[in-house]
Order: sequence, then structure tokens, then C-alpha cells
Amino acid sequence: MKLTVLASAVLAIALGSASAYSDEVKVGALMGITGPLANFIPPILNAARLAEKDVNDGGGILGGEKFTLVVVDGQAAAQPSVDAASKLVNLENVAAIMGGLSSGATIASANAVSIPNGVLQVSPTSTSPAMTDMEDNDFLFRIVPSDNYQGQVLAKMVLEEQLSKVAVAYVNNDYGVGIAGTFKAAYESMGGTVTAFEKHEDKKNSYRGELATMASSGAEALVVIAYAGGSGAKIVKQSLENGFFDRFVGTDGLRDDLLIEQIGAEALATTFFSAPTSPDDNPVGEIFHTRFDEEFGEGSDKPFVDQSYDATMLIALAIEKAGTTDRSKVRDALREVANAPGEEVGPGDWKKAVALLADGKDINYEGVSGSHEFDNNGDVAGFIGKFVVDGDSYKQIAIFK
Amino acid sequence: MIEFINFYLIPGITLGSIYALGAVGVSMIFGILRFAHFAHGDLMTVGAYGALSAVWVLGVSPWLAMPFAIGFAVIAALCCDRMFYKPLRDLPTIYTVIASFGVALILRSLIQVLWGTESQVYSSGFQKPLVYFDTIRIASRHVQIISATIVITVALHLFLTYSRAGRCMRAVADDASLARVAGIDTDNIIRWTWVIGAALAAVAGVFVGLDTDVHTNLGWNMLLPMFAAALLGGIGKPLGAITGGLIIGVVEECVSYPFFGESLLSPSYKSAVAFVIMIALLLFRPQGLFRGRLL
Repeated sequence: MKLTVLASAVLAIALGSASAYSDEVKVGALMGITGPLANFIPPILNAARLAEKDVNDGGGILGGEKFTLVVVDGQAAAQPSVDAASKLVNLENVAAIMGGLSSGATIASANAVSIPNGVLQVSPTSTSPAMTDMEDNDFLFRIVPSDNYQGQVLAKMVLEEQLSKVAVAYVNNDYGVGIAGTFKAAYESMGGTVTAFEKHEDKKNSYRGELATMASSGAEALVVIAYAGGSGAKIVKQSLENGFFDRFVGTDGLRDDLLIEQIGAEALATTFFSAPTSPDDNPVGEIFHTRFDEEFGEGSDKPFVDQSYDATMLIALAIEKAGTTDRSKVRDALREVANAPGEEVGPGDWKKAVALLADGKDINYEGVSGSHEFDNNGDVAGFIGKFVVDGDSYKQIAIFK
Repeated sequence: MIEFINFYLIPGITLGSIYALGAVGVSMIFGILRFAHFAHGDLMTVGAYGALSAVWVLGVSPWLAMPFAIGFAVIAALCCDRMFYKPLRDLPTIYTVIASFGVALILRSLIQVLWGTESQVYSSGFQKPLVYFDTIRIASRHVQIISATIVITVALHLFLTYSRAGRCMRAVADDASLARVAGIDTDNIIRWTWVIGAALAAVAGVFVGLDTDVHTNLGWNMLLPMFAAALLGGIGKPLGAITGGLIIGVVEECVSYPFFGESLLSPSYKSAVAFVIMIALLLFRPQGLFRGRLL
């Protein structure tokens, strides 16, 4: 009896919500809420929420409809991301997908779900070089530069720090394999020596074996290409404990506040990180960050906040430009709103953009994290920053374009 | 050689101890309740977070927080049994197996709601390992984990051999209907099974947190090697599960040692080891090392 009451209550809620939400435009947000990227997520999700709010506060989308983000958890892993994306496409019937975050999640969900179903997918963070040449019918975009570029910049940074022999520990997924390969090629062509190049599996408890082997290779520092919440923090911790390495070089996946929490800032004083970043002389950036902190209290300086806002905003603009939620029309509209020429609109200019589009004018979104001019592969040029530990977070000390 | 002991064998024994404690519960539940309990990894997670709360609120060390870990996990296990498994007990066991998948998701989601999805540590920073005879380096937490596992194993053995409840448990695991005919209160035995299984899982969960970090997929990630350990030892044989856990942990860590100059196996294939052992065992010795029940 109790069960019947409960079941009917659940059913009532489900039906009720279904009818309340008929006049809205849904966009999926494929996030890695649990898993190795969990610590990155709250500010990234807040940024997407801010874009959602900007659209709705600016009068809504497609003539006043509500713009709604449907957030799902892909656990920053391939299979769960495929499941989550297929829920977005088949059950929630979203117009487009913002995400995934890790390259492995993005590539798997695009291959299995977005591309076959013809759904536009814009990743704010996935950097794997493998995405450039995917057969994606032009449905897959990203707004961070490919690791072809980050690998070269990282190689340059490492050599500038007088490190000519390094060992590389990289995680066995699309992200790790991609950037490790481009880093190794660039570093060796610039005259550096990679003394050990070892792939490892995420989520293990001990990496001491691999690290011991790498430590005996005569490297001056260890390049850690892994997510801090997956294996990165454990690798750094076990290296320090056993005296394998005392100097580390990290990429965007390692630049997580979690690393400092677990290791302590002192031991990381000589460590530096490369990561995609936003242009430093961008006035709209400052305004955006102030707005973000007013809304959520803190977090505007966290990784990939800018990119997440831009990706969500670009999707909203593409839908508005297409004038419909028809998925391939939305895809076709994305380049038109993102690329020059056109009247420039920025973050928070939703009303202006809608008015311009209504007048039949061309627009060009210039975002917080860059100007986002997509090439034929759906890639953008961008900026890579060099970061060091500063207190319990990170600060950027150089920028490469 | 000394490198092998320091960086492969000792971490392997530590990992094996954790698998072992988790596998005891899996094996006993499999033996007594006759179903594969897929929520067992998440009971570990519940334990780890129980201890984390005590560490946060009371500011004690994770070792003193152990009773909280055990308390959380035991209560969770008994509630789940009462609410989800007991009503299904007379149906074919596949219903309970599937229900345990659901319970695993419920537990994990509750943890994510209550404690958040970020990974946490009991204490931050790192410690230099202890050095013995100038050569053996072992982290103090590994000494603690391994010795605690030895103590628990001895206690478990004494309990199963000499206490009435322990003997009844073994009887039910060997032949449930015969045990019932002999007048054993099976409901009581089932309760004991959950209490012991969940308590050991909680201890294992805290050990994982001590060794690395506490996160919401902590137990789920270890489920497969724990099942492999339970099968290896023989279903329904707690001491077999401990042996199985140690073997799987040690083998998993040691396969990547460069015995002949080259690594035997690339470290990225470590996780496959538990699978391979499990498949080989099911093919060649399905009753396990300690002659457990056949599936």
C-alpha cells in the first residue's frame, strides 16, 4: 500500500514537471561531477549557470522561451559519458550539448552519441589532438586549443627552466596519450631528453613501482600528465615520500586546488604548470569575473570557468541565430555567430545580440576566454598560461599565444 | 632486489590487505546469503566517509575514528538488508543481486549528497617513510595497515573457530538447510554476517583513505579485485578471502617489476591482472584455493 502511494506520488511529480517544462529550450551539460575531475566542477558548472541566467534575464531564447541546462554526470570517463549523453539526446531531447570535460569523455560521447544523432557538441575543456581529425560531420567543436599547441609550449617552458632531462608519467586515456606524445616530440626536437616515458592506469593506489623505475633514469624532474583527482596527486605524493623526484611539471589536469590541499604548498614551490587560459588584456574578462564572484561568492579564477561560460553562451547564440532547435541548423549557425565578420557581442550582451539577430545582422561573439574563431576542424587558436602555486591556489606568471 | 621489496612488494601487501578485508564480507555474504553483493564496495566508501566525519568534527586521528566508520557501515548494511534484501530473500537470488546494484547506486548518491563529490584526505601533507637497516623503506601507515590486518585476521580466525556464532556461520555457509534442521537461527546468523562483513569493509575503506584519499568511487573501484579475491579463496571461506586478497594485491603490484630487465607487463595493464586470475581460476579450479562452495 505504502509503495503504491509512493509510486503514484513519483508519477505525479514526473508528469507535473513534464507539463511545466514544455515551453523551453533544453541544452545538455555533460559534466564529470563525480570521478577524477570532481574538484574542478563546481565553478565550471556555476559559469554555465551564469550563462543560462544571462539568457533568461535578457528575455529568454527563441522569442521568450526559457533556456534550460540539463546537467548530467559522465564521471569524466568514456562509458558513463556515453550513457549520460545518450540520456540527453534521446530522453531530454536537447538541442545541443555543452561538454564533456575530459577528452576521453568527449571523444567517446561524440563518437557514440552526438555524431550519429547529429547533435552539436561544444567542449569547453577537451584538449586532445585526436579530436582535430575526427570524422565528426562538423558536429564537434571545442573552445580550448589542441594539445598539439600546449605540448609545444610546455616543452618550451621546461627548457626555459633549464631542465634538459625529464621523465614523463602520463595517464592512459585520450588526454594523457595526446599531450604526452606532442610534448615528447616537441621537447626532443628542441634538444631535451626524455629519460623515461611511462603510461599508467588511473585510480590505482600505488604508483611506487613505476616511479622507482623512472627515478633511476637520471631525470631532473617528473612531468606529470594526469588528473590530480585521478592519479596525479598520488604520483606527486608518493614521489616526494620516497624521494624519487622533488621537482614536478604539470599540465592543466594537475592544476587542481586538490593537489595543494593534499601535498601542501611548500613542497610544490618549484613546480610549474601549463594550462589553457584567457587573454590577459581582455576588459570583458574583468567585468565577467566580478559578476561571477558577486553571483557565487568566489571561484572566478578557477580553471575553465571562462571557457564553460563561453561554450554555453555560444550554443545559446547559435540556437537563437538558427531560430529553431533543429539540431543541424543549430550546428550550421555556430560558426556564423562565433566567427568574424559581424558586429561584436560579448558576455552579458544577450539582449543586444538578440536584437541584432532580429534585424538580420551578422554577429561575432568575442568571449571571456578568447575570440573563438573556429577553423574547419572545429578547433580554435588560444592561449596557454604558465602557472605556479600561490598559497592555496595558483597564479599565472606568463602567457603564450 | 631491495627496490622490489620497497616499491613493489610492500605496496602490494598493503593493497592486498585492503582487498582481503573487503573480500571477507563478499565471500561470507556469498556463502551464507547466496548472492553476489555488488554494494559491498560502497559499504567501504560509507565507512571511509564515516571516519572522515569523525576526523572533521572531533579532530581525532583516523584510527580513533574507526568505531565511527564501523558504526556507519554496519547501520547502513543492516538497514539495506532489512529494506531491500530481506523482502527478496525467498525469490531467486538474481533479484537480490540486481537489487544490490541499486543499493550500490543509492549509497553512492547519498554519500555524494551528504559529503560532496570532491576527494578528501584525512590529513594533508606527506611523510618520509621509515628506514630499517638503511635499505628497507616502509611508510608508517603501511606498517600500521599491514599489522592491523594481521590482528584482524587472527581475531576473525578465533571467532570463527571458537565462538558459537562463528561456528554457526561456517555451518550455514557449508550447508544452509542442514544447519536450519540442526536448529540454527539463520536470521541471527545473517545479522552477524552483515555486521562482520560491513565492519571489515569499513576498516578497509578507512585504510584506502589513509593510504591515498577518500572519494565517492573509492569502494566501487575496488569491487572487481575483491570479488576475484573471494573466488580465489573459495566462496564462504573468510580466511580464503584474506589469502586471495593478498595474492591479488601482491601480484597486481609486482607484475610490472622489471624482473628480466624489461617490465613483465606495462603498468597500464595492472587492473587486468585481477580479471585474468579470476578467469583462470573459474576455468581450472572453480572451488577456489580453500575449497569453497561451487557457484
